[in-house]
Amino acid sequence: MRCLSDVEVQAVVDGEASDECRAHANACEACRTRVDERRGQMETIASLIDADGMPSAALESRLRHAMRDVGDVRGATVLRARRPSAWRNVGLVSALATAAVIALFVYGVLPRLGAPMTLSASEVLGRSLQTISSGQGVERLEYEVAMDGMTDGPVVIRQVIDRDNPNRYKVASYRSDGTLATAISQDPMTQQRSQLFHVDGTNYIVRVGAIHTSVLSIPQMAQALVETSIGIMQAKSDQQLTIEDGPAGQRYIVEIPPVMPQNPTATLDLFSARAVISGTDFRIQEFNATGTILRQPFSVSVKLRTHEYIGGAVTAESFAIAPGPDDVVLEGQADEDPITELMTTVLRELGRARGK
Amino acid sequence: MKAVDRPFASTSTTVDPQADTLRLFQEHGAALYRFCRSVLRHTGDAEDVVQETFLKLLDHLQHDGDTGNLKSWLFTVAANGCRDRTRWRLRWLPWNAERDHRTVDPVDEEVRLKPDTTSVARKALRRLAPRDRLLLSLRAQGLSYKEIAAASGIREQSVGRLLARALDRWRKQCVA
Repeated sequence: MRCLSDVEVQAVVDGEASDECRAHANACEACRTRVDERRGQMETIASLIDADGMPSAALESRLRHAMRDVGDVRGATVLRARRPSAWRNVGLVSALATAAVIALFVYGVLPRLGAPMTLSASEVLGRSLQTISSGQGVERLEYEVAMDGMTDGPVVIRQVIDRDNPNRYKVASYRSDGTLATAISQDPMTQQRSQLFHVDGTNYIVRVGAIHTSVLSIPQMAQALVETSIGIMQAKSDQQLTIEDGPAGQRYIVEIPPVMPQNPTATLDLFSARAVISGTDFRIQEFNATGTILRQPFSVSVKLRTHEYIGGAVTAESFAIAPGPDDVVLEGQADEDPITELMTTVLRELGRARGK
Repeated sequence: MKAVDRPFASTSTTVDPQADTLRLFQEHGAALYRFCRSVLRHTGDAEDVVQETFLKLLDHLQHDGDTGNLKSWLFTVAANGCRDRTRWRLRWLPWNAERDHRTVDPVDEEVRLKPDTTSVARKALRRLAPRDRLLLSLRAQGLSYKEIAAASGIREQSVGRLLARALDRWRKQCVA
């Protein structure tokens, strides 16, 4: 048989060639080399396309809502408008707070619930309530978060929490290129709260003193959410448990299969959830979920990087944002609402800059 | 209601179109997204087309549509969606320099990314004609020649030849 044409070589690579062509490709070294070369090129293209990654976790949530209202769907612009606008507009601090709330729930509470096999309704509730009241020490966590509304892709969150004092914490988010995006810290001991924003290459820190302790802290928000969330998890009767052996030992994978929402505007609900849990300390390593929170659809993907308790090394600096030499620090007055105090401080500074 | 084709459906049979749609989204949503992303070169548009495709699938299942080869069906609908989206883009208003006021300097992707082999290969893929990119993207998602023909509107006998030429053009772009 004559040597294969390019089209025949392509067909061999694609598994569409005739038996005769395949046999020749195996027998002829020149053709086999061409097949291998072309196969390598096709694999390169496939890997390039695969590298485009996965759709955002929000897509499934959007699809569920669109399916629910399928009778109203008209045109592509409407589909995109179904993104939850409220989450897009709440601002950087709120996005950060939400990410931290979810991560606190995932890494702060669920790990203490025990092995997945014990996720019975009564035990989950009992252990969660115990967890809420028994947290101790200062905990440092680092994790990746991707959630709806984060237009710049996943961020890395580093946070320090004093579990003995839920108003004492520091949370910072970093972009995928490692640059600091935002940070917020609060310490009742020094009565200071700071918020940092990285804008056009400069860090702006808004710092207020004599803070009101009545402000609901991120950990307290998490605590309030936890009780409701556990109640929802109790109601899910179709949890699926898989045990697998990974490089770091045994892992448990707990999944709540996707379901159509009974009430898509519920204050808090889970449509689907997946948790990968270490078999050694039952800490959650990965968590993906879609649902509604505060009547808005959400989807979140969290991956734990590091976790440690730093009891002996804790100082006031651990809960403060130290300005660098080129950072701009704006001093302001505390308000019960951190957003209000932020806006007031910035606008006052703007007025001064304009000579008013 | 007919049961969804077994080779395509890995889990239990249901007669619930919404549940079937969600299950198929779990199984093939990511592959469909990568295909659309490759063809459209835009994340948001790709997600929109995927969403539209699965909404059409829901409608298809609700109206007792053919479930013989839903994978091919999905890619066909998505390919049409990508074509529509591309046409729609062409109707956008032209760029007007007088109204273009940048607030920050644009990020030069080619400068930011190290020009290694991967970025050259990716750039070459983006430079291909839409049909070449469509065919290579469909093949990269594991579709057979028959399925590619159905999705792209090309005769099945021509798929291999056009794929081979598309690959040759991509290789030439890589070394250009």
